[in-house]
Amino acid sequence: MQIEYAKFPWLSAILFCCVAGMLAIVFIPEERKTLIKKVSVVFSGATLALSAYLFFAYDKGVGGLQFAERVQWIPRFGIQYFNAVDGFSLPNLLLTGIVFFTGVLTMWELENRVKEFFALYFLMVAGVFGLFMSMDLFFIFVWYDVSLFPMYLLIAIWGTTRKEYGAMKLTLYLLAGSALILPAIIYLFAKSGLGTFDVAALMHPGTFTLAQQKLAFIMLFIGFGILAGVWPFHTWSPVGHVAAPHAVSMVHAGVLMKIGAFGVLRVAIMICPQGWQYWAQLMAALATIGIVYGALVGLRQTDLKYVIGYSSVSHMGLVGLGLSTVTPEGLNGAVFQMFAHGVMTALLFSSVGYIYDRTHTKAIPELGGLSRVMPVASGYFILAALGGIGVPGLANFWGEFMVFIAALKVYPLRGVAVVLALVITALFMLRVVQRTFYGPENPRWSHLPDIPFSLGLPRMILASVLIVLGFFPSILFDMIQTATIPFMNGLLR
Amino acid sequence: MTAFWSDHATLPAIVLATFAPFAAFFAIMLFTRGRPRLSARLSIGAISVSLACALYLPCVHWRMEQPLEYTAQWIASGSFSIPFGFLVDPLSLLMLTIVAAISFLVQMYSLGYMAGDPGFSRYYAFMSLFAWAMMSLTVASTVLQLFIFWELVGLSSYLLIGFWFEKFSATQAGKKAFVMTRVGDASFYIGLLLVLLHMGNLDILELGGPKATESMSPGFITLAALLVFGGIVGKSAQFPLLTWLPDAMEGPTPVSALLHSATMVAAGVYLFARLFPFFSLSSTAMTVILAVGTISMLLASTMAMVSRDIKRVWAYSTISQLGLMIMALAAGGWFAGVFHLTTHAGFKALLFLCSGVFLHTYETGDIFELSARGGRNLKIPALTLAVGAAALSGLPPFSGYFSKGAVMGALSGLTNPIWALAALVGVLLTAYYSFRVVFVIFFPGSGVAESSVHSHAAGEGHEGGHAETYRAMAWPLLVLAGVTLILGFFEAPLRGFLFGGATAPEAHESVYALMVHYAAIGLGLLGVAAAWVEFGWSRAKRVGLVERWSPALANLFAERWFLDHFYRAFMESVIDKGFASLAHWNDRRVIDGTIDGAGRRTIDAGRRTALWHLGAIQRRLLTTFAVVAFLALYFFL
Repeated sequence: MQIEYAKFPWLSAILFCCVAGMLAIVFIPEERKTLIKKVSVVFSGATLALSAYLFFAYDKGVGGLQFAERVQWIPRFGIQYFNAVDGFSLPNLLLTGIVFFTGVLTMWELENRVKEFFALYFLMVAGVFGLFMSMDLFFIFVWYDVSLFPMYLLIAIWGTTRKEYGAMKLTLYLLAGSALILPAIIYLFAKSGLGTFDVAALMHPGTFTLAQQKLAFIMLFIGFGILAGVWPFHTWSPVGHVAAPHAVSMVHAGVLMKIGAFGVLRVAIMICPQGWQYWAQLMAALATIGIVYGALVGLRQTDLKYVIGYSSVSHMGLVGLGLSTVTPEGLNGAVFQMFAHGVMTALLFSSVGYIYDRTHTKAIPELGGLSRVMPVASGYFILAALGGIGVPGLANFWGEFMVFIAALKVYPLRGVAVVLALVITALFMLRVVQRTFYGPENPRWSHLPDIPFSLGLPRMILASVLIVLGFFPSILFDMIQTATIPFMNGLLR
Repeated sequence: MTAFWSDHATLPAIVLATFAPFAAFFAIMLFTRGRPRLSARLSIGAISVSLACALYLPCVHWRMEQPLEYTAQWIASGSFSIPFGFLVDPLSLLMLTIVAAISFLVQMYSLGYMAGDPGFSRYYAFMSLFAWAMMSLTVASTVLQLFIFWELVGLSSYLLIGFWFEKFSATQAGKKAFVMTRVGDASFYIGLLLVLLHMGNLDILELGGPKATESMSPGFITLAALLVFGGIVGKSAQFPLLTWLPDAMEGPTPVSALLHSATMVAAGVYLFARLFPFFSLSSTAMTVILAVGTISMLLASTMAMVSRDIKRVWAYSTISQLGLMIMALAAGGWFAGVFHLTTHAGFKALLFLCSGVFLHTYETGDIFELSARGGRNLKIPALTLAVGAAALSGLPPFSGYFSKGAVMGALSGLTNPIWALAALVGVLLTAYYSFRVVFVIFFPGSGVAESSVHSHAAGEGHEGGHAETYRAMAWPLLVLAGVTLILGFFEAPLRGFLFGGATAPEAHESVYALMVHYAAIGLGLLGVAAAWVEFGWSRAKRVGLVERWSPALANLFAERWFLDHFYRAFMESVIDKGFASLAHWNDRRVIDGTIDGAGRRTIDAGRRTALWHLGAIQRRLLTTFAVVAFLALYFFL
């Protein structure tokens, strides 16, 4: 794979912003809450600006890995600090920047332990950024855990419904995932005989035999798949979403689940492509079940966040299905869907956040008639829900479209089942919208203010992203293509 | 021959026509929500621009030999790429004009109808969204693009049907419309994806051409055509997905007018006409479609016969007329179908807008109550209502007569006479139920004459107090009535326009066809006469034929052949209580149960193991003793 080294360490600069932001917050006195929030906005805004810059500065004509930076760290074990981005990781990097920044803005009204919250939040996002840009297996594993542990504290301290249970469940599940990932990584390291953790080197065709690929792939797939909410390892995710504070739910459903899918793509699929082809049927089956199942369970939920949680299971199933097709369209669709779902779900949680902060309930039967009281805040939720339904004009449509094409091509019957699941998704999303936002005005909430412009800003950013990509999907597709086409061509050769 | 400059103006005109309402939508949503008057002006201004463009285009392209296509690269992924483009041909221009004209009239009318509504700005924003989606649909150059706007049309309908979101029935109806059409859309979606996979693109012009037959087998074409037709079934409310349309009445009446004439439901028939060459490739598919159209037409007619709600009668009649259009198209009568779509758009919008005035004035849609309260005193709506009903019944010289004649001509061209016969029955029923409404409202009967005098005055007062509102609503009625009167006489020019430079195929006037033609007129008159006998003349009993004949049958019709009961039962017991509950239970008990159980077992195991590490000397001694005893027994015995 072609690698272009950067003159300026742009990628490390992103990580630097996260760490510097965290340190800055740590050194600000606890009482100065507004200052802490302002500092958070500045540093998270910087990461967004940097990731957006990289997204647009990437040379699509050249492709391959760009903005690379490589430092030998422990030469004896071939561990390097090796960062680089390509068409798969740049959309995720941008997504992280967007969700991170809007998440900070969403938590603007936080009053409880502000300092600790933002410090941990920065640490968690540093792990996420690191994972998306790292090309070294060892570091990928480290970043995975860096992003994991702050999550436990963030949920257990600032969470809401059954927070200790949710936090513990999430952590145990994800640790079980890493218990599969770590041996698989070590196995790959040992069997390659190259003495390196460098993903680009391990990707070389012929490095691993078919049997080795099969074994490593299934371990990595389940390990990372747990984080991606693959059925039947998904139950941590709705519980975790519900328990987490809003911004953490945003990062959690918006970005963290993408880490899982990205791990499957970057590590499992790219290093063990033959294992991928071997296990594709299983992946497709699990994904299809997840899509239909998530939608069905979603029908029965009465808590706003649970509904979103199960819709995430369903939508992440689409990512899995796209990956399982072993086609360029499927990969394009999967990565696009990762981005679109990340933004959409962040918007959903962000909107719920505003509503919950005012009403202190997420129980759908207690709400109702909110559209009259807070039309703008409701509008954002409805917009995102429509995105989740797959209405064209919003980004999600395109991800689903590509995945459907690939699925119909490779697994016609499952493709049909999945398209039909769209109807169920529409049903439960619209039901939630109807029960929460429509209906007669509830006197309990009639005194509540609508969202002011300043607080609406993060939602506006997310909504704009959804709409812009809904009309100009090429912005993302052209980027993803630069990674998909060479990879698939190399595979077929 | 088009002038040089007009070629350059075509693309900007199309872009402007479709983009103006979109811009209005955004502007209203973002900036002018708090200023209703400005919002309405923006929206109406935008639709006026669209209308001007839409009227300009056919003038320039009156004699069009080749369809024009403007495309630009849009998305490329994997093995295929899809352009974004505009397709300009007589059919798309005709539809564009209809949509723009009806939308314009409805928006003007809404100035009166929606005056003072708290959601006035939102209403106009959604109206603009609706207009944009529908107009973009008409000029889409690929099926995918068409599908995208098709979905957006569905979305706008959802938003507008549920516009009064505080009413449970309205939100319920909106949701029902969306989900039910989505069932059809899923089928359409699968169909178009299959075609895309096999043909490599979705260009509308190529779909009916040689490339389609080369790349797809006949059986596959039939499958794809039927799948795509599934979308039409949902959108145009055909059997079995027809029950959402009557419920869609819950929206404001101008919305119904728009929904039933030129937009939402018309989109389905438009798609059929648009892909007519493709559907024609499969005669099996065409026969199935013909049957579906026929069933829908007859079923809906029976429902309309017993409905007491004025808007519902027109809603059922829409289903029935759409069925008739689909029959015409499926019988190969492309022009007949498109022509009926055109005339229907005019007179159905008229009927709904008339009903809207009644509804606005008396706040009831029950025809007998309207009648009792002196509905006939609203002169303009009552008169134009009669015009619309006459056109709907296919009476000369109104527009419906000509288009129904064309439809009958197409159906009489089929070898099997059953289709023409069914259509004739439909004509009879249509005339009966349309004039049932007219006569009930026109002739309140003697029993209620006294109360009618009273409410007459009240009605006048109401009307006087809102003279301005009334006027805003009245003039679009007159325009539409005028169109309904004269449109029929433009059949020949329209035919010339639609077939462009090519010579239009002349209708074959066989004796059989003439017989069908006159039978249609006769049956139409018979239907009117039947309605007169029952509801019109002074000694009429004012009870419908069906109710007298068999109350059970009337109930069956009124309950829509129990289709809704079936759907509700299916939703509740199969989806909600069946699969969803099962999945939910599985999630809670099986998956989470296993995991939590494993967690608890681990903790228990830990506790038990921990016991061994407590300094309980007695227990240790006991254990030591037991072990030793066990070993002793083992070795010595």
